[in-house]
Amino acid sequence: MSLPNLFLADLPPEAALTPHLIQEACVAIKRNRANWLLQRSTQELVELLAYAAERWLQPEFSLRRLALTLAPSETGFGVTTLSRGLDSFFKHLTVENLNALLIQDLGDSRRLDEFTAPPGELRQGRLAHARGPELLVHFAAGNLPNSALFSLALGVLTKSAQFVKLSRSGSVIPRLWAHTLADLEPKLGSCLELATWAGGHNSLESMLLSQAECVTVHGSNETVASLASRIPAGCRLVPYGHRLSFGFIGADQLSTYQSQKTATRAATDVTAWNQLGCLSPHLFYVEERGIVSPEGWADQLAQALAERERAEPRGELPVDVAAELAGRRSLHELRGARHAATREEAVTVPRGAFFDGPQGATRVWASPESTAWTVVYEDDPRFRVSCLNRFVYVKPCRDLADALRQAEVVRGQVSTVGTAVSESRLVELAPQLARWGVSRICPLGRMQEPPPGWRHDGRPALADLVTWTDWETV
Amino acid sequence: MSADVISSFALRLAEQLRRGGESFSEDSVFGNAARELFAIQFHHNPVLRTWCQARGVHPESILDWRDIPALPTDAFKEEAVSCIPVTDRTAQFHSSGTTTQQPSRHFHRPESLDLYADSVQAAFALRLGPHSRTFRLVCLTPPPNQVPHSSLVHMFQILGRQSRYRETTYFGNVTSSGWTVDHVRLEEFLHGQSEPILLGGTAFNYVNWLDVQPTHPVHLPSGSVVLETGGYKGRSRELPRPELIRLLTAHLGVRQSSILTEYGMSELSSQAYSIENAASVSDDTPQLRFPPWVRTRVVSPETGREVPSGTVGILQIFDLANVWSTLALQTADLARSRGREFQLLGRASRSEPRGCSLMSLENP
Repeated sequence: MSLPNLFLADLPPEAALTPHLIQEACVAIKRNRANWLLQRSTQELVELLAYAAERWLQPEFSLRRLALTLAPSETGFGVTTLSRGLDSFFKHLTVENLNALLIQDLGDSRRLDEFTAPPGELRQGRLAHARGPELLVHFAAGNLPNSALFSLALGVLTKSAQFVKLSRSGSVIPRLWAHTLADLEPKLGSCLELATWAGGHNSLESMLLSQAECVTVHGSNETVASLASRIPAGCRLVPYGHRLSFGFIGADQLSTYQSQKTATRAATDVTAWNQLGCLSPHLFYVEERGIVSPEGWADQLAQALAERERAEPRGELPVDVAAELAGRRSLHELRGARHAATREEAVTVPRGAFFDGPQGATRVWASPESTAWTVVYEDDPRFRVSCLNRFVYVKPCRDLADALRQAEVVRGQVSTVGTAVSESRLVELAPQLARWGVSRICPLGRMQEPPPGWRHDGRPALADLVTWTDWETV
Repeated sequence: MSADVISSFALRLAEQLRRGGESFSEDSVFGNAARELFAIQFHHNPVLRTWCQARGVHPESILDWRDIPALPTDAFKEEAVSCIPVTDRTAQFHSSGTTTQQPSRHFHRPESLDLYADSVQAAFALRLGPHSRTFRLVCLTPPPNQVPHSSLVHMFQILGRQSRYRETTYFGNVTSSGWTVDHVRLEEFLHGQSEPILLGGTAFNYVNWLDVQPTHPVHLPSGSVVLETGGYKGRSRELPRPELIRLLTAHLGVRQSSILTEYGMSELSSQAYSIENAASVSDDTPQLRFPPWVRTRVVSPETGREVPSGTVGILQIFDLANVWSTLALQTADLARSRGREFQLLGRASRSEPRGCSLMSLENP
């Protein structure tokens, strides 16, 4: 099936975009928003979003099927990885969760409809009304679709006209989500615009920025900085730059029985969206005092990844990315061989043969005949950034404090820490993680499944979009 | 096995190289030499041996040179990939690369440098024929005393020494902002020349020079050759290759067919040159060819097996002149082969996968 040409992003790739075209589109969606969207009640929009999400959970839904047909070649994700990712996103987009988000971020679910207030404010004689931006612009990231899907949903809640600039490598799924909303309510569709162009196209971007009241940017720190420098005065920027994540496995979860389950959950996090999201783990810190050692746990993780590969293959990679994985793998294999040799051959290896590399043992588990998955265990506890695509490090630590010391180099950039520790210990550890600056703590196995109420990068995602009118009634 | 076997192999190889090195065009001759050298290196190079043993490879199990395990060039960054005892390492070449990372270190001794010189001269003679010694060597790089660890500058020094002028003139300097070209002195020098020149430099040398060069062109003497090598590595503005060729032909008055691309690296002891085919020079990616004592394979990053001709994969290089280190290397370069020739198509991705940017934190 083919899609109707609703959005600029639906036009054939050779169709040339001009600043004038962008301006016309912005004017049109702002007008449509004033005439229709602004008159809707929040509840009506919540129900519409939840209904659209429900449709995406149905395997036979035509646009979902189209997404699973078109997206693998565009994004490189396998069909199973895509379905799992889409399911875990859409299952959380419910009426209940969206209302909880409204209450959490705005204090009351009707704040965008009228002057209202939660009881505490009422007692002080205060009411407040929140307004969404007239035109909300999103610069979406190309790695995975979730943030674009969720940004669009947030903009519907704030009753904003929305223009989404999509990356060429990740346009299909957000486009189909916008088509879903437009199919359910064409008038809502007429408040949305989507387009793709190569990032950094100055004349198009300047025109778009000049029309916007608020801009969200998802992408590399360079992309964020480049757009930030071009934002006109009076337009607000909500930046989502680079973040990374890791896992922590407590010794109490390393009994022979538990550690296997923990490894399976870790494999879920490594394979979700092929590890390409900011919430995907680069490495796992494993406490040393467990019955299963950190190295033993790495072995279990490797087995879990091998099993997962059979059910949910990673899919093909561009040759340069695969070459990077292969190169890193062989470097670690070399280190592993070096360590084994210095241990066994200590006397015969001449002085000066080896320089100072990482300390201690290195062991590599790798998918045979492919780069599909790789686990590298290193005694050296220093934090290491993975090249992703199901390539993960396992490192030992004495305790969480030790792990955080090793992760100091990425402090301030960590989004999620996925944990496997007993509940009683977590009560002690969570404040430690919070003080250190982690913006999200979740159970291992759910790292790529934040609920809609999630404070994205530690910020209230919905509240960051609105402006308020406070009314002191007495 | 005594260390003499290394010298003995090197002397026999040098003998062949002085005769032009074409005997290695025969696959069996190359294969026998490669297997012999691998056995020697297995015994004398501890890094290579541990690498091979971890993969269950022993020289006796190698029946075809193509099965010799290719050591990743990254190994030179953290190991002394060398058969030379610590106290005998009198020289070393470093990779240029980025500043944040440890460079590759390739150790040498007087004997290995002699062989290096034979290899450089023989490869150059094969490419340029009988005229190879008639050029005056003029380089945009700094002189060897400023960059003692540059294998490229060492190569220019050898070519100059073996030319009929017995010397190389350098117009580059190392400054706090990297390698610069003293273009005023260079242009003055070039105006006074009437005999053919071999002008050598990296692509970024040329771009830096021609970016500031005055509008009037410098005409190199007839019969001159321009040799450009290496990538830009972020040290000048990026220039697509056809644009570089256009700059060179416009400013220097040479034909496209007189522009030669060289491909080498600190981890090797031989160089590849673009082949003599005017059409290929205007391509984005020239066809390169190593001399007969060097073979290449292009392998799949997924399986490690050779890919069909014309398919992009990782470039492996087997250089017999790498006697004191390792003859078989796996580069981080992507390539496509066509017979004995290959085209370079970039490097293994170092960019952060799709939209993230933390690679400076990598401590591989």
